[in-house]
Amino acid sequence: MIEVDRLVKRFGPVTAVDGLTFTVRPGHVTGFLGPNGAGKTTTMRVILGLDAPTSGTARVNGQGYRELVRPLRQVGALLDATALHPGRTAEAHLVSVARSNGIGRPRVAEMLQLTGLEPVANRRLRGFSLGMKQRLGIAAALLGDPPILMFDEPVNGLDTEGIAWIRQFMRALAAEGRTVLVSSHLMSEMAQTADRLIVIGRGRLIADTTTAQLIESSTRKNVLVRSPRAAELAGLITARGATVTPEDDGALAVTGLDAPAIGDLAAEHGIAVHALIPRTPSLEDAYLDLTGESTDFRAASPSPEEVPAR
Amino acid sequence: MTATDTRPAPVPLPVRARDVLASEWTKLLSVRSTYWTLLIAVVTPLGTSALVAAAFAHPPKGGAPPDPLLPGFISLEYAVLAVGVMGVLAFTTEYSTGLIRTTFAAVPRRRAVLAAKAAVIGALTLVTGELVAFASFALAQAVLSGQHLGVSLSRPGVPGAVLADGLILFVVAMTGVGLGAIVRHTAGGIAALVGLLIVPTILVALPAPWGGWLGRFTVIEAARQLTALHPATNLFAPAWSLLVLLAWPAVVLLAAAVAITRRDA
Repeated sequence: MIEVDRLVKRFGPVTAVDGLTFTVRPGHVTGFLGPNGAGKTTTMRVILGLDAPTSGTARVNGQGYRELVRPLRQVGALLDATALHPGRTAEAHLVSVARSNGIGRPRVAEMLQLTGLEPVANRRLRGFSLGMKQRLGIAAALLGDPPILMFDEPVNGLDTEGIAWIRQFMRALAAEGRTVLVSSHLMSEMAQTADRLIVIGRGRLIADTTTAQLIESSTRKNVLVRSPRAAELAGLITARGATVTPEDDGALAVTGLDAPAIGDLAAEHGIAVHALIPRTPSLEDAYLDLTGESTDFRAASPSPEEVPAR
Repeated sequence: MTATDTRPAPVPLPVRARDVLASEWTKLLSVRSTYWTLLIAVVTPLGTSALVAAAFAHPPKGGAPPDPLLPGFISLEYAVLAVGVMGVLAFTTEYSTGLIRTTFAAVPRRRAVLAAKAAVIGALTLVTGELVAFASFALAQAVLSGQHLGVSLSRPGVPGAVLADGLILFVVAMTGVGLGAIVRHTAGGIAALVGLLIVPTILVALPAPWGGWLGRFTVIEAARQLTALHPATNLFAPAWSLLVLLAWPAVVLLAAAVAITRRDA
């Protein structure tokens, strides 16, 4: 369990985290979402005792991280997979981390095997691909067999195979009853991994919900209506207090009235309806609705990274 | 899993200290730069002390006889720089790669990390320093004794002076560890170390009595006092010079202990 309570972190004039409160519970993969610069990494650093909070607290299993003895046995974290000494071998890196928490070599060997790094255990890290470094970071996070795991943007820069491996891994860890917090700025990524979502923007909590609820609550949930007497029908729908947005091809997008109600309304007035399609927004849309106003650095036109393929 | 059953049994302090030391020891011995540093720290003093002794063995006529212990001191120049850089790198490589966050997440008590890094590098440089000091002493005396200019280790004051030679490597490496933790950038750390060790020697060049009065507080003059066969009379006595020599790394490490816990990693 991770508990963040009224957390504030300022760097000089910049407020990175602004009164954030949330709880991450065991047994789920919890997605920690927000645009770049929303404060995800800072929050994770504070949880790990790396940055001191300006005010508020972050606790793991009821304790402040800096009070933990042998913390790797309670919290495993992967913040930046490239943060390695290039001249050290994979095994030496893991042994140095393991020893600091009284973890023996058999566990290191086990983790090398689990992450498929056994064949490259004695190679220096300078030659490692990003994917291999991510695996090494996960091996290091799991050394202490901790009940809490945190990963910061673990799939950034990975190939499809690597992404699939990490997703499966995180789900398996949560299924074992662990607390798993995974940050990402990509909703599409979280949609396939996380059961619960904590969405933040500009250091503030925007949503603390389940993936399904987030979609349900989106304002983009609407009904597509086609009718030869569209204008007339639009007037009737608006009279009922719903909102009608005409689409380019003459169809109507209706918000605030569900499909059966629209059908009944049309039938009452003898208006033919050619299409009546309830539309659920993608998780991506729901996310953009939430974070649209909290993006710190908005490009004039969305970059490919901001609007990933669905 | 509940919050209570995951709390481990208390781990005694000596065990925790051993863990952190073992971790830092693994780090130190798993990078090549450590071995290169030790190679430089061993080879250059031996070569240089033999060369300087050879030059001393044929002093210009009419000059005062040279200090037979001076070759041992002079020859440490490159070794001192090498171990100083090793000390600086202990923290700066971790800060520059970001590895420091892994280190501090594993050991949130940051002063324990500082102490462990200082201890492993201190042990390595102290042992290396003493071995090198006695080896270059033996080499230099072998060359000098051909001209009957050498001294024996049994002469009063000589063992202490040779031990002090070895101590210099330790002192400079420890100062490097502290500066690395404070400055956090390799280039800046090395510059700070060189600045701290060498720039104050300008003070020595000040006109008397200022040169001696201020100079005796510098690392180099304090070390020179400790390692000379006939200590200068205008500087601190050897016992005080030893204190000056040890005070430099002590003060820098204390400053590092304060800085390391106050700043975000």
